[in-house]
Amino acid sequence: MANPLRLYLACIRNTLEAAMCLQNFPCQEVERHNKPEVELKTSPELLLNPVLICLNEAEKCLIETSINSLRISLKVKQADELENILTKKFLRFLSMRAEAFQVLRRKPVQGYDISFLITNYHCEEMQKQKLIDFIDIEKEITELKLSVNTRGRLVATEFLKQFIYVDRLHIQHFPHQELPAILLCMRMVDNGSC
Amino acid sequence: NFPGGWRERDPMAGSAEFVEADNAEAIITRIETKSRKIESLLKQFKHVEALKTALEGSPPKTRDERCKSANWIVVHRAIMAIKDIDGMLNALDVEYYDILMKYLYRGLSTGDRPTCDQCLKIHEKLTERAGLGCILRCLTDTINVV
Repeated sequence: MANPLRLYLACIRNTLEAAMCLQNFPCQEVERHNKPEVELKTSPELLLNPVLICLNEAEKCLIETSINSLRISLKVKQADELENILTKKFLRFLSMRAEAFQVLRRKPVQGYDISFLITNYHCEEMQKQKLIDFIDIEKEITELKLSVNTRGRLVATEFLKQFIYVDRLHIQHFPHQELPAILLCMRMVDNGSC
Repeated sequence: NFPGGWRERDPMAGSAEFVEADNAEAIITRIETKSRKIESLLKQFKHVEALKTALEGSPPKTRDERCKSANWIVVHRAIMAIKDIDGMLNALDVEYYDILMKYLYRGLSTGDRPTCDQCLKIHEKLTERAGLGCILRCLTDTINVV
C-alpha cells in the first residue's frame, strides 16, 4: 500500500501545477490598481472553485485560485497541547519574516496554520516548478521540526524521571535552548500526565 | 434524460423555485432507483458498472443541495467499493474522467480518513491518465458544481 502522506503531497503538487496559471489582470473597479483577486473576492467571474484536500481529520490543505493570484493554506497535524504551542511559535516566526520569503502570507487564513499567496508577479519572476517545490519543502520541514521536538520531549522526560526527587539544580548544566521544553516536561511529569 | 414534463409546465423564469422543487423531487426519486441498482451491481462484484451508473445520472445544473448530497452518497458508495483501481480506470470511458475527478475532490474535502485514502489513490492514477487538464476543468467549472 502506498504511503498516504506521499499520495497527499503528490495530489497537492498536481493540483498546484494545474492551478498555477496566473496572468496579469488589473483591478476592474478602480483604475490603475492591481490587486490579488483571491484576497478581495470582488467579482465572482474571476474566481475558480476552491479545493480542499484532506489527509485525515487533522491535516488539510485549501487551494483557492483566481485569475491573477493563488492562495494555499495548510493545516499541520498537532498531537497535543505542547505541539500546538511549538507549531504556533515556529510558524509565527516564519510569518513575521514573510518579506524575506515573498510568497508567504503574514497572517494565516482562519482555521489554518500557514498561508501562501502567489501572484502573477511571482510567477513571472520565479519558475513555477521551483515555487511548487518550495511549498512542498515548507510542509516537510514543518513536519520534521515537529517530530524532532516530540522526540526530544520524550527523551527528556525519560531522562529526567531519575532526577525528580534529587535537587533541581542540575538544570544549569543543560543547554539553554532546551530549557523551556525541559521545564515543561518536568511540570508535566509532576502533574502525572506523562 | 430529464423527465420532459417540467419544461412545458413553466418556460418563464418567474416561478423558478417552483420548477426547481418539482425537478428536485424527480431527481431524488431517480437517484434512489439508481442506488438500488448500484447495490445489486456491487453484490455481483461488478464494480466498474456500478461506478459508471453512479456517475452517469449526475444532475448537472441543479442548485439544490439535497440532490447533490444524495448523488454524492451513491457515488461515494461505489468509489469505496473499488479495490482494483487500474482495472477500473482502464474500463472507464474518457468522458467520465472529469465527473469522477469532481467527485474525488468532494471526497477529499470530507476529511474522513478511509474516504480520503481511497480518493488520494484514485486521484494519483487518474491524474497520470487524464493529465492536468482534468484538474483544471474541475477548478474552472463553476456551473456544473458537483
